[in-house]
Amino acid sequence: MPTKIYDVVIVGSGAAGGVMAAHLASAGASVAVVEGGPKINTRTDFNTHAMPFEFPNRAIPTIKPGKQGFDSERARGLGGKTQTWNAVAWRLSHRDFKGKSIEGAGADWPIDYPDLAPYYDKIEREVGVCGNYDGLKDLPDGIFLPPVPMKCSDKIVKKGAEKLGLKIIHVRKSTLSKPKDGRPACHFCGNCMAGCDVVAKYNSYDVHMIPALKTGKLELIPDSIVAEVLINTENRVTGVRALNRLTQAETEIRGKAVVVSAACVQSVALLMLSKSKAYPTGLGNSSGHLGKHFIPHFTGGVQVFLHDLIGKPLLPDEGFLDHAYLPSFMHERKRDYARSFGAQFGYQNRRSVGWARQVPGMGTDYKKAVKDRMPAVFTFSPYGEKLPDPKTFIDVDWEKKDKYGLPLARRNVNWTGNDMKIFKDMTNWSKEILKSAGGDIFAVGEQPQTNHELGGARMGTDPKTSVLDAYCRSHDVPNLYVVDGSVFSSASEKNPTHTIMALAARTADHIAGRFKKGEL
Amino acid sequence: MAEERRDALKIIGAVSATCAFPFSADELYGQQDHSHTAGAAAPPTPPKYFKAAELKLLATISDLIIPASGTPSASGAGVPLYIDQVVANNRDLQRNFTEGFAWLQRAGFEGLPPDGQLALLLPLCKAVDEGTIKSPEQRWFRSMKSLTADGYYTSRPGMVDELGYKGGSVLSEYPECIHEH
Repeated sequence: MPTKIYDVVIVGSGAAGGVMAAHLASAGASVAVVEGGPKINTRTDFNTHAMPFEFPNRAIPTIKPGKQGFDSERARGLGGKTQTWNAVAWRLSHRDFKGKSIEGAGADWPIDYPDLAPYYDKIEREVGVCGNYDGLKDLPDGIFLPPVPMKCSDKIVKKGAEKLGLKIIHVRKSTLSKPKDGRPACHFCGNCMAGCDVVAKYNSYDVHMIPALKTGKLELIPDSIVAEVLINTENRVTGVRALNRLTQAETEIRGKAVVVSAACVQSVALLMLSKSKAYPTGLGNSSGHLGKHFIPHFTGGVQVFLHDLIGKPLLPDEGFLDHAYLPSFMHERKRDYARSFGAQFGYQNRRSVGWARQVPGMGTDYKKAVKDRMPAVFTFSPYGEKLPDPKTFIDVDWEKKDKYGLPLARRNVNWTGNDMKIFKDMTNWSKEILKSAGGDIFAVGEQPQTNHELGGARMGTDPKTSVLDAYCRSHDVPNLYVVDGSVFSSASEKNPTHTIMALAARTADHIAGRFKKGEL
Repeated sequence: MAEERRDALKIIGAVSATCAFPFSADELYGQQDHSHTAGAAAPPTPPKYFKAAELKLLATISDLIIPASGTPSASGAGVPLYIDQVVANNRDLQRNFTEGFAWLQRAGFEGLPPDGQLALLLPLCKAVDEGTIKSPEQRWFRSMKSLTADGYYTSRPGMVDELGYKGGSVLSEYPECIHEH
């Protein structure tokens, strides 16, 4: 039996786990971060700059040969998905937190913008977020490093959007436009999602956890796949049971509080796997709502060749992928659906050359046409907000197990009438904007695709209809917390990680406060 | 209980002393020694699925789709062996290619001069481009063109020499647009 009892055991080392670990350790709490994947060396382990022809099947593996990690959802590695995210960082707004009250659809969060604003500030100061001060009501400004110039293609599309009365803004990203705290500014190689090997792009391991190791209060426990959150007869969680990723040897890691931050679907599944006599359908599921209200973003996509760039010189302008953004605008317009969409664009790396299939013809003319279009390929990717519906949920397939013997999480997704109205409208707007910008459309996404998994353990004021309270604490178990995308009460259309990090900072403050009061 | 509370207070006692996040990663990172160079192309893999005569046929057809023109042709960039790798792992594609090759044989493709071969394939290409695929040979040609494009433009000759993409840059600042719009 283990003898050490940590103050806080955190499951997962991504955006939420990394922030919580650093903030709690710097507050003096002893913290164990239990990560299913291995220790990663960000500087050397990723195939950041590889080209497809270096591999026989032309697919670039995330990790270099001989290195480990990122081979499954349960075994990514220290830093989790922040190692390979695109770093887009939006604040949610009052409208996002209180959509039910404003529109009558979906669900309100139990918190509002002023509750989270100080924590967005805190994260932006620590992480470094570049962006422009746009003064938009539904996309609050923050504390920004200078924005990065828009791409040539962005400027063309911006003009097209402006002809339709739409505003394009600079993207906001947790990527440095100026050096900060020993991290260099971005050098615009365009390989952000292949693992930024200089940490100009934020990842939770290098920016939060490695520095926090200096407190002596933080212990990182990699290669440990959590199979169960343990609970005692007094309705308090006592730690986790984990399997060694390599040997499958079982171990227990004990704590006075447990935070589950394994990413949306895996966190929900872990709670479902943690069944007990008191909680036969999953830990903290007295409401029966665990797994429900799964509200992933959905995206479509329209691809064009921009006339203005066909045959032009190929510039080294991949930058840090997308440099601009179309904020949601339908909230101010008449429409026949609830909620809205925003759009990212131009975040595909130039190593993605699948579009060449779509160029007509064969022979010398075809070859020239492909070359001419290389600088002109442009992908527009709108993201819509999904409302909760009973047929969209997370559960566990008890029959199918992974290589660790753990039942697999299952995503069940249904597209409602409202979803499809948004999807159709965002696709139509995408086409109109691109036509207005002078683009030849060559591919249109015909079905919504899920992205940014959210919900399943939502926050709420009513313990009968939500899993967590306003501090991401279980309504049922007073020393159990969940912090990641699963806690979202409603999704908004905005990339969620920045909000997950702010929630993690707020929850860390709350947990520290409870230690102070002697509640934990 | 009182013991636990004292522990808790001790923990939180550190909060006010470290109200700002106090650490940096300064000793870990710097881009002064950072450079990117594309690695060498992976050596060709031995064929797994197609026979030598079929690989020769793939070379002929892929070169009709992407000929040499100052940069290598599809076969010069190793496309037939790339197609072999993909088809070896996909039964639907294996069926497509079996049907396509049978059609080529019936049409006497290999006995035709290059112009005749091109003339035979152009209607298939047109059907693919227009999205009006109905016959097995048109379905095969769609696979053939797609795999040729994928294989060529992800090869070093296709990506670096032909398209001019040399891999990620290391720039001190983001380049302003040089075009006139």
